[in-house]
Amino acid sequence: MAFGGIVKGKRTTLRPPTEDDLPAYARWMADMRVRRAGSVWHQPAMPATWKERLTEQAKDHRGVLWSIEGNGKVVGLVSARIGGVEGGPNADIQHFIIDPEEWRKGYGWDAALALHRYFFDYLDLKRVSTEVRADNAAALRIAEKLGYAEYARGHQVHYRDGGYVDESSILMERAAWDERFGTTEREYVPFGAAR
Amino acid sequence: MFGPRIAGENGIELRPPVLEDYKLFAAWQLQPEVTRFWGPRFSTETPANAEERLKRHLESNNSVTWSIAYRDETVGMTGVFDIRWTDRDGETGIFIGRHDLYGKGIASEAIRLRMAYIWKELRLRRTHNWIALANRGSWRANQKAGYSQIGTYPRSWFRSGEWFDEWLGEAFPATFPSDRLPSPWRDEKHPK
Repeated sequence: MAFGGIVKGKRTTLRPPTEDDLPAYARWMADMRVRRAGSVWHQPAMPATWKERLTEQAKDHRGVLWSIEGNGKVVGLVSARIGGVEGGPNADIQHFIIDPEEWRKGYGWDAALALHRYFFDYLDLKRVSTEVRADNAAALRIAEKLGYAEYARGHQVHYRDGGYVDESSILMERAAWDERFGTTEREYVPFGAAR
Repeated sequence: MFGPRIAGENGIELRPPVLEDYKLFAAWQLQPEVTRFWGPRFSTETPANAEERLKRHLESNNSVTWSIAYRDETVGMTGVFDIRWTDRDGETGIFIGRHDLYGKGIASEAIRLRMAYIWKELRLRRTHNWIALANRGSWRANQKAGYSQIGTYPRSWFRSGEWFDEWLGEAFPATFPSDRLPSPWRDEKHPK
C-alpha cells in the first residue's frame, strides 16, 4: 500500500516511486518556489538519507506515495493518507508537488483528476480532504475545478517569505465527484457495456 | 519533552508524566465511557511498551506533554503536539480519563495552565485543535482560554446511529484572557 500503483491520466501517469526519482525529489525540496507553495515531503538531505526515506515510506501502512510522470520524465510527486475506520472511507492529500520547471503545462490538473478518479471510481472513497496555503492560486483553482469546498480557514498559519499566510482546509465529497465526473471519468468500461 | 509542574486552582495541576501514568493512559483509551469522541478504542499501547512510549515523548523535540493531576492523583493528560517551530504553531489536545470526575472544571483549569505556558514560555504564536462538536464541554473549556471557532468538519464521527461534526479552533497569545493568567506569571514577584 505504501507505494502507489499506476494510475493513468491523459498527459501524466502516477506510478510507484523509484530510487531514480530521488535526485529530482531532492532538487524540488530545496527549491524556494516549491517551499513557498506548500509543505515539503522531506527537508533537503544527502542521497543516502533520501534512500532511507524511500525505504521507510514503503513500510507506512496508511501513507501512499506516487511519482508523477509526464512527457517521459518524473515531473512531480503526490502523497496521501488513506483511512476509514472512523468517519468513513477517506483520503487526505499530504503533498502534491509539481517540478517548478514544469509549472503551467497542465500536469497538475491532469494528475489531480487521475488521482481523484482513483480515489472515487476505484477505491470508492466517500471524501477527500487537504490543506492549501491561501495564496496558492494554482492549487486552489484545481481544487475548485474538482469540486472542493472550504470547511475551515486557519489564520496566519504558515510563516515564509517574511510573513504569515492563512491556510484553507478543503474537502471534496463523493457527491461532487459523481455530479461533475461520475459519468465521464471511468477507469474501466462498465462490465454491462463490455459484455 | 515533558512540561514542568504548574499548580492551578482547586487542587488541579499539570506535572511531568511518570511511567505509571503511561499505563493509565493506555487503559483509559480502551474504556467506552471516555471514548465516545476519542477513537477508535483499539490500541497498540500496552503496559509492556509504556516505557518506550514515555521515552519517545520525553525525547520528542516537537511536543510538550503533561499529566493532569487532581488532588495529587493523575486523572488525564494534555499537551501541545506536532509543533512546527518555523511557523510557531502546534496542535493542542486534552484527555480526561476519569469519567467520574467530569463536570468539575478539571479540563478548563488544565487548558488555562497549558495555554499560559505555551504563550509565556514556549513562545508559540498560534495553536489549533479539533474537538467533536457534541463535546460542548471540551470546546467551551478551550474557548474560555482564548480559542475561537474557525470552521466545522462535517460528519467526522459516527456513533450509535448518528454522525457528529467536528469543531475546529485556533488561539493566539492576544486571545488569552489576561485576567485569567495563572501563577507564577501573574505574581508580582515573578522574575521578569
